Amino acid sequence: MPAKRALIMHPSDNVATAVEEIRAGDEVAVPVEGEVRTLTASDPIPFGFKIALQEIAAGATIVKYGETIGKAGQPIAKGALVHIHNLEGTRARGDLTRRADR
Amino acid sequence: MSFHGYVRPDGSVGTRNYVLVIPQGIIAKTICDFVPGTKTLITTDHGSGRTANDRETIARVLIGLGRNPNDASVILHAASPGVGYPELRAERLVDEIRAGGKRVEILDPAQDGGTYGAIVKGMQLARRMVYEASKLRREEVSDAHLCLGVKCGYSDTTSGIAGNPAVGYLFDKIVAAGGTAMFGETTEVIGAEQALARRAVNPAVAQAILDAVALREELAKATGLDIRTVNPVPSNIKGGLSSLEEKSLGAIHKAGTAPIRGVLKYAEPPAGKGLYFVDNWMGSLSIFAGYAAAGANLVLFQLGGGGVAGRTLLESCPSVVAPFLWATANPKTYRAATDSVDFYSGTVIEGTETPEEAGERFYRIVIDVASGTLTRSETVNYADPVEIYLQEPRF
Repeated sequence: MPAKRALIMHPSDNVATAVEEIRAGDEVAVPVEGEVRTLTASDPIPFGFKIALQEIAAGATIVKYGETIGKAGQPIAKGALVHIHNLEGTRARGDLTRRADR
Repeated sequence: MSFHGYVRPDGSVGTRNYVLVIPQGIIAKTICDFVPGTKTLITTDHGSGRTANDRETIARVLIGLGRNPNDASVILHAASPGVGYPELRAERLVDEIRAGGKRVEILDPAQDGGTYGAIVKGMQLARRMVYEASKLRREEVSDAHLCLGVKCGYSDTTSGIAGNPAVGYLFDKIVAAGGTAMFGETTEVIGAEQALARRAVNPAVAQAILDAVALREELAKATGLDIRTVNPVPSNIKGGLSSLEEKSLGAIHKAGTAPIRGVLKYAEPPAGKGLYFVDNWMGSLSIFAGYAAAGANLVLFQLGGGGVAGRTLLESCPSVVAPFLWATANPKTYRAATDSVDFYSGTVIEGTETPEEAGERFYRIVIDVASGTLTRSETVNYADPVEIYLQEPRF
């Protein structure tokens, strides 16, 4: 079975965006600077959602477009789905500001 | 490259040729129902109980829509009773619209036989004015006369990968040709402001971008909320976007790569040609009328739609006199609403077109629409009311 496709937006990204429906256990092919890296999805990754290209420690920066899109709220395994359950946005967070002020 | 448009007395060029009747109300609505070829502004925001700044914003919308090159001429009637604020007086609006050199006729119910008299006089005037407008002919003009405004919405990850980059290609092309392009949505710049500030033509413009974003972020923090309960909106999250930063970093791709020449207020006309950032709000009932008031002769909505099921008809967002195009890169959105979509760039994700090929195709579609081809939503007779972007408390 051919590998499923996911795209990065910048060579320093540690997540890729699925451009087809990926099931847990599927091989995923990610073009990176002329080469194709492959990994195995450990979760279902719906079209348009993100897969971790490497292990990401809790609190580490999650990078897409070569820029910070948030921090890992918990350890994220290579091949796992990256979304609001394990990615924390860091900007405009009134809830966090309020807590710090108290 | 060039398109065919209506050259106006001030040298601006229209992509459409309407008679505009403002402000909204029963007089304008009745005239527009009676006479084809007319347009009016429908809004709930008419100024009563609003601060001077907000009333000035409303005036900017009315004047700007009146001066938009897509109007051949304008009928303006004295405002509704109770709205006698200086910013919104008919004489002031008329003077500023006439400064653009086009014909402006005034209806005054107090002198024209009351509401009924003003309606009848307006119908007669509007019939003559659309007839005169129909004698105008399109002329071939440079792309430098294009003025575009864009919003991305129902964003999902296809927006950042393919949809917004296609808009960015188009914007670069229009700006390189000497035209004007506007983008905005300040909340959706949070997390991407440094990338934009680096593209400012000078430090003052860079600072203005950073200041606009900082103010918006402070307002967001002051709510005490996790911004993700507000924005990204639920459809963004269902479409795969996980944070405001991720949404912003995808959103700015629609601005292409040209230098940013200035920061504009909602409905403020740009001082020159080139790319401008507008400190506006993303609301689809708000943003397009603001672009039209700033002089846009064509507006674009780049739609993700990943989290939106069942939208098989995409009606226009209110843009009053500016033709409105739908673009999407999401194959599901496109398949569901094919006969509403003007431009599809999911081909880039599917691997059947390069981003440049898709961008070129988009450009040719825009030129066709600017020259008179209808947008898909112009084939539907529907207009939501405009929500004018007012930011101060009301009393």
